[in-house]
Amino acid sequence: MTEPGQRIYLLRVAIVLALVFNVMALVVLIRPTPIAFTLFMFLAQPLMAVALFLLVIAVVAELRARQVL
Amino acid sequence: MSEVSVPLPHGWIGTTSQWIEGFGVGLVVLDLILLALVWYWMRGRDPLPRLWGWVLVAAGLVPLLVGFMTFAHGLESSATVSACGSCHVMTPFVRDLKDPKSETLAATHYKNRFILRNQCYECHSDYGLGGTITAKLEGLGHVWRYTTGRYTMPIKIAKPYANSGCLECHGESQRFLNSPSKKDILPDLMSGKTSCLDCHGPAHPEQKKEARL
Repeated sequence: MTEPGQRIYLLRVAIVLALVFNVMALVVLIRPTPIAFTLFMFLAQPLMAVALFLLVIAVVAELRARQVL
Repeated sequence: MSEVSVPLPHGWIGTTSQWIEGFGVGLVVLDLILLALVWYWMRGRDPLPRLWGWVLVAAGLVPLLVGFMTFAHGLESSATVSACGSCHVMTPFVRDLKDPKSETLAATHYKNRFILRNQCYECHSDYGLGGTITAKLEGLGHVWRYTTGRYTMPIKIAKPYANSGCLECHGESQRFLNSPSKKDILPDLMSGKTSCLDCHGPAHPEQKKEARL
């Protein structure tokens, strides 16, 4: 994971996942039905967890590339 | 039922839930803009050094805030009558609940505001943390059965209605405790040997046998 291109790819995936999370959250905030809330809890939140995990991987890779870690 | 506009207290600024909803929607819109900008800025060859801060804010920090607000708003909203009524199988129950001419227990409690809000949830969840957790898990089961069509009509309560649901409010009321009609059966009511619904009811209207839609 030393190439900037790989890190950008990870970040793009994280951004898409965050986008999906935001849209699902918006649905719950505007029209909080039980089905929308269930999808938010069991689909959107795990997707956001994956996005955060990818962010951490990208940050660690960047710090290693800069020889900070 | 006569429709009146109840005056709001001086300095009314809305409910906590309304503020959470407003802030949540605002943060989502802000984050969507930030995500679009970060995506746009990433087109360069090696844009990362100047972008890290914005990426972490747009894809990490703001979504976390959105998540907290959406969770709080969703959890509170899931206890409302409108949430229960959002599944069409509940329509007859909610329609009766809001019918001022109905004499069912649910309608009586609703029209007289014996329960101020979240009337379905207040009666159909036990109290305490355990009651909330159990109600949410049961609600999850309801969503699953509703979306997959694994339910049968007419809708029935899963287990006999426990007296504790009534006694949570009535049990310590002096009017209830001093009622001559309750004096003799009070121990049986408290122990659950006699059901409140043996004398009071029906809680909800009779359901017609109908095809599942």
